Amino acid sequence: MTRAGRELRGAFFLACALSIIWPAAARAKTITIDDAGTQALEPSVSLKWKNAAPPRSGRNNLMVGTTTIRVRLNVMPWLRRSGRIYLNLPAQPPGPIAASWITQGRFLPGQVHSGNRVLVYTGPITAPSMEDMLTVRFSVDGSLVRRTFPVTFRFEMDED
Amino acid sequence: MHDNQLSLPASEPGMTPVVHRLQRCHYGLRRALIGAALCSAMPNAASAYTATLTPATPLTVYLQVGVGGFTNDYINGGQPGNNTTINRVSATVAAAAVGNGTAQAMTTDSTAIQSYWDGYTFCSVPGQLYIGGFYRTAGGATAAALVTATVPAALTDAAGDTIPFSKIRWTSSGNGDSGAQPFAAGNFVNGSVQNVGSMSSNTWNESCWTFSYLNNTVPPAGTFTGVVRYTLSAP
Repeated sequence: MTRAGRELRGAFFLACALSIIWPAAARAKTITIDDAGTQALEPSVSLKWKNAAPPRSGRNNLMVGTTTIRVRLNVMPWLRRSGRIYLNLPAQPPGPIAASWITQGRFLPGQVHSGNRVLVYTGPITAPSMEDMLTVRFSVDGSLVRRTFPVTFRFEMDED
Repeated sequence: MHDNQLSLPASEPGMTPVVHRLQRCHYGLRRALIGAALCSAMPNAASAYTATLTPATPLTVYLQVGVGGFTNDYINGGQPGNNTTINRVSATVAAAAVGNGTAQAMTTDSTAIQSYWDGYTFCSVPGQLYIGGFYRTAGGATAAALVTATVPAALTDAAGDTIPFSKIRWTSSGNGDSGAQPFAAGNFVNGSVQNVGSMSSNTWNESCWTFSYLNNTVPPAGTFTGVVRYTLSAP
């Protein structure tokens, strides 16, 4: 065997070793999913007091608002693969926010507090896009809000 | 994908298979470059979704003097409503006692004894008049909402005789309460708009008022009436 051949064989074994070791050490890669097709059915979410009257103590100032969002995710890059999709609600102004939602079955219902993410789908990706209608209820401390504010969330894919 | 629409050129006559593979690699590289270009554009498409939240009608006020309107107790999800009833507080002074300086207890036709906050029996009738409410606002603590009484100069009878409103005073309490009342004791000031209490934002406030007529003058016999209007003003 030539020197070049030995080096090639060494590289081959090295590659094999890596191919065995790497998957065990690797973490799932998280990628933000293209949700450009996602639309809200209402232009804005109207927040109202959860309870019309405040308590004597002056606490429990929760405001809630519900909206319907037609989620459309472009999962073409993961077509015919398996993956886990999460709804990520980053920590953001004006402060702690909670979101809970129900679905029409394509995704899982759930709830999340800002700064966290929750699994909404796991399994094979069998179509270029995934759609569902989510009825989302946002909850926020009314003492934190005085005017209109944006709440951003994203869908993430953890590749298997 | 658009790059899937690319077609390989037919092999040129006389081209060897090796050359063909090189050509495929060449086009594969171009497709890869196109793919890379598309991928570089992906972060724009793969953006997060933004919902806009608007605090709708965050300012809510509720004032109840006498009977009020609630669909249910607050702790059971009650919602405030309107009640246009004007309750009466009155005293009948015996002829022998008129003007003797002994205050005469007044009673009310209000039936409000329970707090709409939790149904607790807070006031006693007919001796006490319930006053309570709340001031709801988003965005943190603000200046307190004020409750004022618009007081005529005097109570009058059919003949035009008068008794100054200042002849009426009240004490403030509530079953089970200790400490200062949000609607403190006082007496009417003739022809004024006077403060009778305040509400910190996002708190429930309530008191029970016990009225009395000072009875230290001798007016003509008659039925004297007057209306005091209570107003809640939020900042």
